[in-house]
Amino acid sequence: MASEQQEQWGTRLGVILAVAGSAVGLGNFLRFPGQAAANGGGAFLIPYFCALIFLGIPIGWAEWTMGRYGGKKGLHSAPGVLGVIGGGSAWRYLGVIGAMIPLAVSFYYVFLESWTVAYFLKYLTGGVAIDGAAAIADQTAASNALYASITGSAQDGVLFTQNQFTLLCWVLVFGINVVLLYRGLSKGIERFCSFAMPVMAICAVGVLIRVLTLGTPDPAAPDQNVVNGLGYMWNPNFEKLTDSNTWLAAAGQIFFSISVGFGIILNYSSYMKPKDDVVLSSLTSAATNELFEVGFGGMITLTASFVFLGLAGTIGAVQTGSFSLGFVTLPVVFASMGPAGTIVGAVWFFMLFLAAITSSLSMYQPAIAFLKEALGMSHKKATSWMVLLGTIGSVLTIWFTQGGAFWSTMDFWVGTFLIFVMSMIQIIAFAWVFGIDRGWKEMHSGSALQLPPLFKFVMKYVTPLYLLIIFVMWLKQNLVSALQAAFSNTGSMVAVLMIPVMVVALMLLIRTGERRWRAQGLDIDNKIPADG
Amino acid sequence: MTTGGWAIMLISLAGVWGLALWCYRRVLTLPADDS
Repeated sequence: MASEQQEQWGTRLGVILAVAGSAVGLGNFLRFPGQAAANGGGAFLIPYFCALIFLGIPIGWAEWTMGRYGGKKGLHSAPGVLGVIGGGSAWRYLGVIGAMIPLAVSFYYVFLESWTVAYFLKYLTGGVAIDGAAAIADQTAASNALYASITGSAQDGVLFTQNQFTLLCWVLVFGINVVLLYRGLSKGIERFCSFAMPVMAICAVGVLIRVLTLGTPDPAAPDQNVVNGLGYMWNPNFEKLTDSNTWLAAAGQIFFSISVGFGIILNYSSYMKPKDDVVLSSLTSAATNELFEVGFGGMITLTASFVFLGLAGTIGAVQTGSFSLGFVTLPVVFASMGPAGTIVGAVWFFMLFLAAITSSLSMYQPAIAFLKEALGMSHKKATSWMVLLGTIGSVLTIWFTQGGAFWSTMDFWVGTFLIFVMSMIQIIAFAWVFGIDRGWKEMHSGSALQLPPLFKFVMKYVTPLYLLIIFVMWLKQNLVSALQAAFSNTGSMVAVLMIPVMVVALMLLIRTGERRWRAQGLDIDNKIPADG
Repeated sequence: MTTGGWAIMLISLAGVWGLALWCYRRVLTLPADDS
């Protein structure tokens, strides 16, 4: 516990880049453009920015503030921080969700991360084998075959028994994560993100410049040019704004993109100094995420696809989903670029790898903090236990690959459903239980930015209501089909059964931790306010 | 690309680039960490 209390971010910029690294992930480059194109193009940006201002950024401010407050009490895990903010055991036990989400999401996220490395290595070694001179249908078939081979989507166990390349990539990726985590918060995560984020930005700028200078590569198809490609993404269809699904999609994109509701920011911000700014830092992290999402994701992916595959090909790619767009369609696009496509492909997948690893690191750290805090473990011992848990979870993910059932089920129930729940818990805890006046004062303690008082009203009323409406709409749209899918095959059933097992195990740890913290004399129920 | 498409694209890009640059400028010009 003593060493945990001493752990702190090295610099102001370090924590911002670490949180931004957590937020910028595969969804920025793959999910956002698909969502925008399918939901009104440029018109989608209106509900998207509304959700950013009234949902994403306010929850982020609340989460940063609560985390820093919990850190003042010597607590760094979601259960510990929420127990302090809520002032009692009930909130501590609700915090189990924030302890579970990052760990459970890491089980499958690192597997997805290993795909990016697999593709990157394939590009470096010339193993992609998509013939750019062949018919588009043949190229797509070759790309689909590569995707199935890397993801093991045809059959459970195939990545262990037949094609171990992805497994080796997972070992490599997991190993890098573990080494960085053993090095600790400042020397591992902060240092790596301070290097990875600028490199990712350089890669994104490089790919963007290449895409925007493609011109009209096929003179026989003059309509397939960069300007029309941008038009496919950005031309507004304002009629879509009358469709509630557009607003739901926009809020969902913001919500899952800026990393709120995971319990990660609670943990990261708990390592800040008591008077460190949270308002500007939180806003800067969100702004970084938006730069990657709108500024790069919105300009690169669909434009490149349109230029080489045309309107029909790009519409088809969007309809097949984010992963298919990134891992099946784009390799066909890169093949069409000729020899330069190999370099662009390698840079693209390296950039996706950096986006993924800065996110996966942030998923392991809260679990390590929780183990240290609840069981009094040293950093090395807690990291070793996390390695064991992460290995078990990832092995299950890599075994049950058929149709992506295991990881997509986990992604629905933990990576989506529980994130809604956790966000609601956090904004209620901040604005209603801790109190908006007190929360506002705490948020502005040491702040480099004074917010307009309007946001007090937004955080107390607008954000919870907005969140509730979106959650109900989302449940109405997805719950029945998700319940049916949950028991459709072995992989999804294992994923569903793991969730209550993890909840019970983590609750037992919270109970143990509670006893330890009380015995240590920590003010875990916030009897002595530590307000700024 | 329609006029509306150009307008929304340029406003969105100006918005996200402008916000990010403004934030980083503020962060980097704050007094050094001493708390």
